Amino acid sequence: MKTFKLDNEPKIEAGFAVPDAYFDNFSSKLLAQLPQEETKVISLFQKRKKVLMMIAAVLVMALMIPVFYKSDPMNAKVDPVALENYITYQSSVNQYDLLNNLDAEDLEKINTSIVLEDESIEEHFSTNANLENLILE
Amino acid sequence: MQEEQEFINQLLNPKTQNIAFQRLLSEYQRPLYNHIRLIVLNHDDADDVLQNCFIKIFQHLNNFKGESKLFSWMYRIATNEALTFLKQKAKANHITSEALQNKTIENLEADVFFDGNEMQLKLQKAIAQLPEKQQLVFKMKYFEELKYEEISEILGTSVGGLKASYHLAVKKIEAFVANN
Repeated sequence: MKTFKLDNEPKIEAGFAVPDAYFDNFSSKLLAQLPQEETKVISLFQKRKKVLMMIAAVLVMALMIPVFYKSDPMNAKVDPVALENYITYQSSVNQYDLLNNLDAEDLEKINTSIVLEDESIEEHFSTNANLENLILE
Repeated sequence: MQEEQEFINQLLNPKTQNIAFQRLLSEYQRPLYNHIRLIVLNHDDADDVLQNCFIKIFQHLNNFKGESKLFSWMYRIATNEALTFLKQKAKANHITSEALQNKTIENLEADVFFDGNEMQLKLQKAIAQLPEKQQLVFKMKYFEELKYEEISEILGTSVGGLKASYHLAVKKIEAFVANN
């Protein structure tokens, strides 16, 4: 059997060849491939997004104005019929409480001169079923 | 060491980066090409891998912590790129890595960029019979003439382990050449 000792042999090269001027061109070829620092692209939509958002916010606020005024308790107008019904049926307020809360102006308004003829008063009393109660009160 | 640190700073500084990288290219393109070529065997493949390797080096310069030497860091990238390339190529051809290597060696005789003689071709065939790690150690020690300490830094294996691998590889190669 033949013996072969690597250390006893002259150095064996790998035997690979390279094309002419390969290394001369490699640098420039590679440098052209290196990722360049990319220019930051901002899309038109993104640029306008801020402005659009601001316009939208202003519009929303503008639309909220009527709602705000409608919901303002200071400006809320109470339906007089509803108020009357509430006082009559739901509230514990009696007529004395009401009288105490009336000021001079209110009394002035109430104090209107009513011209009544005797006949009409008589007729009214004759048709009013609660006459006795009123006299008692 | 201080000079290397200065060079690394130049590579990391955007103002000096381009010039420093060109220097890096001119210094390392040949040794890294040889390293990759010994793994992939074919020139066109070596060219592709070398380009990817330098692009990766450029992209990851900021991640270089300086814990190892720049030389061993680049060799590690080159080794990984070459091995990954072979695995992907084998997968694309639906064959094993070993089968791909044997096929490439068969094609070496007809390769215009292989000018080896019969002995050189036989040596390539003998190397192809070795496990991947022993192949790497043998090629780096025998052909590239790297020191065990350098190979240890690149492959992350102890010097003692590398010496054992190289010794085993030589024995197997000698037996293959003697019997073929």
